[in-house]
Amino acid sequence: MPPESSELLQGTLELLVLKALSLTPMHGWGIGHRIDQLSKDTFQVQQGSLYPALQRMLRRGWIKSEWRITENNRRARYYLLTRTGRQQLDSETRAWERASTAINGILRVRSVEGLS
Amino acid sequence: MSVLSDAMERLKALFFRGRVEREMAEELRFHVDRETAERIRNGADPESARRDALLAFGGVEQYKEAVRDARGNRPLEDLATDIRYALRGLRRNPGFTLTAILVLGLGLGATTAVFSVMYSVVLAKLPYPDPDRLMMVAEKNSPTNIWNISTADATAIRAQQRSFEAWGEVSRMEAALSGQGTPEHIMIGRASAGFFKAVGIPVARGRSIENRDEDPGAPSVLVLSHTLAERAMGGAERALGRSLTVDGIPHEVIGVLSPGRNELGGVTATAWTALKLPAPVRRGPFWMRGMGRLKEGVTVEMAAADLAGISARILPLWTDFRDSVAKLTPIPLRERIVGRADRQVGIFAGAVLLVLLLAVTNVATLVLVRASAREPEVAVRVMLGAGKGRIARLLVTENIILTLAAGALGLLLASLGLKLAVTQLSLPRIQNAALDWRAVAVAFSAALLSGIAVSLSPIAALAGRGGPLRTDTRRTGTGRTTNRVRSVLVTAEFALALPLLVVAGLLLNSFVRLSRVDPGFDPEGIVAVEVSLPAVRYPDSLALRGFWQRAEDLTAGLPGVTAAGLASDLPPDSPGTNNFNLVDHPVPDGTSEPVSPWYGVSAGYFAAMGIPLLDGRLFTAADTMPVVLVSRAWAAKYFPNEQAVGRLLISGGCYDCPRTTIIGVVGNVKNLGLAESEDAVYEQFNRNRDRTLHLVARSGAGATAALREMRELVRSLDPELPLTESILAAKLDDSLDDPRRWTVMLGAFATVGLALAALGIFGLMSYVVRQRRREIGVRLALGAEPAAVTRLIIARGVRHAAVGSAIGLVVTLALIRRLGTMLFGVSPTDLTTIAAVAALLLSVALFACWLPGRRAARIRPIEAISSE
Repeated sequence: MPPESSELLQGTLELLVLKALSLTPMHGWGIGHRIDQLSKDTFQVQQGSLYPALQRMLRRGWIKSEWRITENNRRARYYLLTRTGRQQLDSETRAWERASTAINGILRVRSVEGLS
Repeated sequence: MSVLSDAMERLKALFFRGRVEREMAEELRFHVDRETAERIRNGADPESARRDALLAFGGVEQYKEAVRDARGNRPLEDLATDIRYALRGLRRNPGFTLTAILVLGLGLGATTAVFSVMYSVVLAKLPYPDPDRLMMVAEKNSPTNIWNISTADATAIRAQQRSFEAWGEVSRMEAALSGQGTPEHIMIGRASAGFFKAVGIPVARGRSIENRDEDPGAPSVLVLSHTLAERAMGGAERALGRSLTVDGIPHEVIGVLSPGRNELGGVTATAWTALKLPAPVRRGPFWMRGMGRLKEGVTVEMAAADLAGISARILPLWTDFRDSVAKLTPIPLRERIVGRADRQVGIFAGAVLLVLLLAVTNVATLVLVRASAREPEVAVRVMLGAGKGRIARLLVTENIILTLAAGALGLLLASLGLKLAVTQLSLPRIQNAALDWRAVAVAFSAALLSGIAVSLSPIAALAGRGGPLRTDTRRTGTGRTTNRVRSVLVTAEFALALPLLVVAGLLLNSFVRLSRVDPGFDPEGIVAVEVSLPAVRYPDSLALRGFWQRAEDLTAGLPGVTAAGLASDLPPDSPGTNNFNLVDHPVPDGTSEPVSPWYGVSAGYFAAMGIPLLDGRLFTAADTMPVVLVSRAWAAKYFPNEQAVGRLLISGGCYDCPRTTIIGVVGNVKNLGLAESEDAVYEQFNRNRDRTLHLVARSGAGATAALREMRELVRSLDPELPLTESILAAKLDDSLDDPRRWTVMLGAFATVGLALAALGIFGLMSYVVRQRRREIGVRLALGAEPAAVTRLIIARGVRHAAVGSAIGLVVTLALIRRLGTMLFGVSPTDLTTIAAVAALLLSVALFACWLPGRRAARIRPIEAISSE
C-alpha cells in the first residue's frame, strides 16, 4: 500500500489517461494499471471511474476506440490517442507545468514583508 | 473536430443503443476478468481475487450509469421513456384516445384548410414584382360608384401624369376564336404595351406587346396564355409565328405567357392583343381600365392628387361629360382583387377558430376526466418518490402526442376539405390555395398549442394536490376542483357555439329569402344561344341586319317555340350599364348623371321571357328615332307619381344626339342578380352594329330538344359560328350557388359546434351523476321523487348552458355587424333568428342533460349505497 495517497484533482485523471495512451494504444484495464505504475500508486483511482472519463474524452474527440484481440485471445476495447488528443496532451502538460511552478514558488515563500 | 466527434458519439449512443450497451457490458466484464487474472497471477486465490477485483472496480452498475450520463443523451432518453410510457397509456384507453384525436383532428383540419384559403385569398402577395406599387386607375364620384376610364382620359393621363414609371390601359371582351379547330368564345384582353410594362410580367416565349403594335396600321398580334397555346396549338414553341383568327381577323401569335399565368393586373384572359387607342372625339364612353406602376417614393395620395389635377384640366374640354365630382382615382390593385373577399374569409376564419376552440375545450374536458380517473395512480407515483415536475412532464408528453396525432389527421382532412373549398367557393385567387409548408406549420403549431392548452387544467390540479397518500377520490373532495374546471369549460363551449349558430342561422335565413325572390320571369322552358358574327364575313350593317332578322324569325317558327327574341345580356347576371340625364328632371350642373342597368333587346325578347308590358307599347319596325322601355322599378324611382311614358332623356352623355323617348313600362326583372335592384332600361338592340347577341326562345319542347333545334338552325345559317348555350332555369339556380355554399359551409361548422357543446355537457352531467351516485341513492331511499332527481340534474346542466349562451350572445352582438354585407333581406341582429338559435341550443342542452338525469332517477338505492 502507498504510504500516502491523495484524491485526484479535477481533470487530472484525463491528463493521466492522455499521457498513458501517448505511449501505446491500450484497453481500459491497461490504462488503469499503467497509471498505477507510473504514479507509483500515489493516486488511488477507483478503476470504474475510468470509464465515464473515457466516454467524455471520446465525445471530445481526444481519443478513439476500436475492438482488438489481446495477447490472451480475448476481444477488448482499445483506446487510441487522436491528433487532437495529442495536442490536448501537449497544451495541458504545459499548463500543468506553469501552474505547478507557480504553486511551488508560492509554497517556498516563508514570509511576506508587510503582511505579517 | 470536437463538435463532429461529439455528435457522432451521441448519435451512435442514440441509434445503436442496444449495441452500445452490449459493448459497454463486455468492456467492463473484460476489465474485471483481467483484474481477477492479474490478482491470481500475483498469488491470490481465485475466489477472493474476483471479489477484490469487483471491490477495486467500485460498483459496476453505478459506473454504467455514470458512463450513460457521460454519453450526454440523458434528456433525450428520458423523453423516449416518456413517449413509450405515454403511448402505452394511450393504447390502453382507445376510447379516449380515438375520441380526442377525432374531435381535435376535425378542428385542426378545418382550421388548416381555412388558413390555406385565407393565405391564398387574402394574405399572399400578388404575383407581380413589387405588387404594392401597382395601381388600377378608374373614374370615381362616390365611395361606391367606380367605373372605367375613357379614351380621352387615357390620352390625357399618357400626356400629363407624373406619378407612374409605367402606364397602360386594358380592356377585356369576349371574342370568337377560329383557325384552331372548333370555333369557340374566349376572353381576350386588349392591352397597351405600357400595361405589360406596368404589371412587369415578361412573356415566357417570343415577345410581348410593344409600342409599334399599337399603331393603327400595325399588323394584329396575339400573346397567348400557356393554356391556350397547349390546347389549341400543341405547345408554346409551335404556336409562335402561327396565325389565329379572332372575330374573323387573322392575328399573328408573337408570344406565350408562362404556365399558370391566366391573369394580368386583375384581368383574366385567355389571350392578349394590342390595344389601338383611337383619337378621342368625346369624353366618353368609359370602356378601359388604367394600370400604373408608381414611381419609387410616390405614395397613393400623391398619385391621387396628380390624377385629380388631370381630371380638373380635362373637364372643360368636353361638353358631353359634366360631372365635376368624378375624379380619376388610383386604387391599389390588391384592394381591387381581394376586395370584399377579406371580409368573407374573415367570417369564415372566425367561425373555424370557434370550432377549433370548441374542439380544444372538449378535449380538455376529456383529458381532465382521464386525469382525475388516474388520480390514485398519480398518488402512488408521488408516494414512491416521483417528482411533480416529472409527472407533469409525462402528462404534457402524453397530450402533445395526442394532439400531434390529431394534427396529422387534421392535415389529411384539410387536404380533402381544401379540394372541396377550391372547387366550391368562388373567391379571388382561391385556385392557388394549397397545403404548403405554411399549412403544415399552422397545423402542427396549432396542435402543439392545443396540447399545452389541454394540459393546463390537469397540471393545475396536480400542483394543488395535498399530501401524497390520498388515493381514494370517491369520498374526498379532490374531484370537486376538477368539476369546477369542467363546468367552466362546458360553459365556455356554449359561449363558443352560440355565435357559430347565429351566423349559420342568419345565412340560412338570408338564403331562404333569396331563393324565394321572384326573378320577374318564368324560367321554365327558356333556352338561349349566344352567337357572335365575325367582321370578316359580316362586314356591314346589311349582313348583320339580315342575319339577326332571319335568326329571330326562323327561331320563332321552330316547332314548340312560342316566342323568340334577341338580347345583349341575360338575367340574372347582366352587367351592362349606361348613364343618362332626364330632360324634365336634369341633375344640377357639375354633378354626376344617374347610372342604370342598360340592355339592348328585340321586341320579341319580352314575350320570350314572359316580361309583361304594363304601359305604353313595345318597339316596332317603324321606330327610327331612339326609344326605350323601362322597368316598373325604374319608372317609380325616376318618375314617382308621374307618367313615365312619353318622357325624354339624354343617353350616355351624348348631348348632340337626338333625345331618347320612353315608349313603355315593363315588369321588373332581377337582371343583376336576385339580391340586386330591378332598375332597367331596354333599348332596341343595334341591328346594324351588334355582333354578339343571345338568341332567346320559349319552348314547350324541353330544354335539350329546343337547344338542339336552335343549334341546327344557326348552323344552317352559318356553320362556322361559335355558340354558347344556356338554360335559363339552370342559370338562375347557378346564381344561388355561392350563397348556398357559404350557408352549407357555416352550417356544417355550426352543426359540429352544436354537437361538441352537447357532447361536453352530456359528459359533464353523466360524470356528476356517476360521482354522486351514492348521494342520489340516499336521497331516493329517503323518498325523493325520481322526477325531482332528474329535474335537479337537468337544472344544473341547463344553468351552465344558459350562462354560456348568454356570454356567447354578448360576443355575437359585438361582432356580428361585419356579417351585414353577406346577408340578404335580414339584419345581422335579426331577433327571430337569434331567439330561434338560442332556443335550439338550449333544447339540445336540455336533451343532453335529460339522458344522465333519467339515469340518475333509475339508480337503485340499495345498489348505490352498498356498492362502496
